[in-house]
Amino acid sequence: MARSYDRALTVFSPDGHLFQVEYAIEAVRKGTCAVGVRGKNCVVLGVEKKSVLKLQDPRTVRKIVMLDDHVCMAFAGLSADARVLVNKARVECQSHRLTVEDPVSIEYITCYIASVQQKYTQSGGVRPFGISTLIMGFDANDKTPRLYQTDPSGIYYAWKIEIWLKASNYGDYFNKDGQELSSNTVREFLEKNYHDELSTDEAIKLTVRSLLEVVQTGAKNIEIAVMTLDAGIKNLEIDEVEGIVTEIEKEKEAEAEKKKKPSASTST
Amino acid sequence: MECIFGFTGKDFVMTATDSTVAQSILIVKSTEDKSRALSKRILLLFAGESGDTVQFAEFIQRNVRLYEIRNGVELSTKSAATFTRRELADNLRSRKQYSVNLILAGYDLTTELPSLYQLDYLGSSVSAPFAAHGYAAHFLFSIFDRYHRPDLSLEEAKALMKMCVGELQRRFLVNLSHFTVKVVDKDGIREIAI
Amino acid sequence: MNSILNEFKSTSALCEEELHDSLYDWDTANGFALPTFEFPAVHNLNRFMKDITSASAPCQIEIQHGTTTLAFKFKSGVIVAADSRASQGNYVSTSSVKKIIEINPFLLGTMAGGAADCTFWQRELGRQCRLYELRNKERISVAAASKLLANMIYRYKGMGLSMGTMVTGWDKTGPKIFYVDSDGTRVDGELFSVGSGSPFAYGIIDNGFDFDLDVPSAIDLGKRAIYHATHRDGASGGTVNLYHVKPDGWARIGRWDVEDLHWEFQDQPKPSPINSSVIG
Repeated sequence: MARSYDRALTVFSPDGHLFQVEYAIEAVRKGTCAVGVRGKNCVVLGVEKKSVLKLQDPRTVRKIVMLDDHVCMAFAGLSADARVLVNKARVECQSHRLTVEDPVSIEYITCYIASVQQKYTQSGGVRPFGISTLIMGFDANDKTPRLYQTDPSGIYYAWKIEIWLKASNYGDYFNKDGQELSSNTVREFLEKNYHDELSTDEAIKLTVRSLLEVVQTGAKNIEIAVMTLDAGIKNLEIDEVEGIVTEIEKEKEAEAEKKKKPSASTST
Repeated sequence: MECIFGFTGKDFVMTATDSTVAQSILIVKSTEDKSRALSKRILLLFAGESGDTVQFAEFIQRNVRLYEIRNGVELSTKSAATFTRRELADNLRSRKQYSVNLILAGYDLTTELPSLYQLDYLGSSVSAPFAAHGYAAHFLFSIFDRYHRPDLSLEEAKALMKMCVGELQRRFLVNLSHFTVKVVDKDGIREIAI
Repeated sequence: MNSILNEFKSTSALCEEELHDSLYDWDTANGFALPTFEFPAVHNLNRFMKDITSASAPCQIEIQHGTTTLAFKFKSGVIVAADSRASQGNYVSTSSVKKIIEINPFLLGTMAGGAADCTFWQRELGRQCRLYELRNKERISVAAASKLLANMIYRYKGMGLSMGTMVTGWDKTGPKIFYVDSDGTRVDGELFSVGSGSPFAYGIIDNGFDFDLDVPSAIDLGKRAIYHATHRDGASGGTVNLYHVKPDGWARIGRWDVEDLHWEFQDQPKPSPINSSVIG
């Protein structure tokens, strides 16, 4: 029965679903992980990069892209779809500067991207974008870091922190117990560790740490972009990420030690 | 009445524009910047029909920026000049033309060479060691012919610039009280006092 | 000519899928391109306008009319002042025109040139500013507002629009004045005066201005500048309307009949030229 309601995009199913849109959201879930953390004076985007083959040029695989001098976007889902959306957004950024002189506000460009995504859920002959995006940046004449999210249906939100995971059919993403990690577990972790006053270093660490929950291969598969008001957009080098990863591992070990000790004392 | 000019030096380009906005006989503003940075090391100077100048320059500026963000590379001065010339030439055949004269000054990191292009409203583009548009050309070209060398040091260039500005203020009927002088080199674009 | 955005080049082969562009019909350039007009059915519109507005035309359409408007920045904001005379050819049609247009509670526009053009386009600007505010959840900057106006009238460049206007206001970046005219010029600055009486007004302001003026003196300076312009310029007159732009929006300071001002000022002693400040 339901079959016939996912042929043409613009047709609702009797119970009010747009199946194609939901499939698009599913495509996002199958994509790699992306995390955004908003600190006191900074925003951090982190994504998991797929391992590249030995002969591939890793520089061509980019999951964090610049939209304008003050706006960055990370995405999860189909990279090919993202490229189209990114291009539209970049044109809009420059066009906005041309028509009103001021650069786009982060909310404006988010709204723009979300509207494009929405248009593709309500038009004939097209399919929705199979991507969710995280958009970060600073507004002109404003010191507040901004972080927004859009999804294939065209909804957008402002976030303190955001994360998506991941994949049920990729073995790599199962944790040690063979349990599928859900974005909820990482979200719980983030909710517990987040506070409004995060410094830049803390925000980066929190990002890497939450990514490490899903990225087993460590630093080489993590891409981090940090944005502060003074320094603008900066992509972390691989050894910088590696440094943070080892730091986190040490902390984790220390925590594990601590946990062990009281349990050891109770057992005696 | 507008004066824009520039010349190359050893590893930089020095440019100047008058800073006057005039409406018939009235000076509306005397501190206007008649240039736009196309990228970190490319500067576009413009003169001509008011309105057209800024509209066209900003249009070029945003397109060059868009290109850079899309492709992750900086345009060379030559490419920027080619693009600008082409836009101007295409536009010339449309219903309403931009009447804008331009000078493009840039420093290329790859070749480590400064370069200067002179573009006019009919769509010509010439690479030259020195360039001037409008009445400035009448007063300045002889000075350039006499004193300009491609290996000018910054100090010499400043002195030459002083000569040019001095000559315009001495011999040109129109009162151009202030000139904006800029230098484009490997570190980017900066305004200097001469 | 409808949109600047459409002129963006898709330089990469992979880029714009033009087919899909029509799907998304709101963008800044197109959205702000409204309204459009029917043009006279002539081959060359620019030449047509030139022919009917030039002095030698058999039945000339006179668009320019006389005015004095001024705006200057000082330490506590912006003073905006204007006369109120509207003339049609060589007769005064009314002496109570509001030449300072309240675009919204934070933006003022002044009007010189064609009254219809100024009123219409600044009302249109007011509409767009409100739309911008609703879409972006924040007030439009003066730079953005003036750019919108400049872009709008630039589209009609050479087609007979006649306006010289100053868009003033106070936004996140502080007090701002932009001069925008029908040539498409748009410059920001500290002090402008527009209209046939502007040279007279400049004469007063340039020589009596000091950035550190207190508010009453600044108001007095603006008032005097307009008065002197109306005194010497036949096309300016009526009353002085004066506004003060402050961080929390503009305030209307008052309206004075220039005839009353004339008698008031006549009895006052003239200041010595020695100590008055001159703008460099």
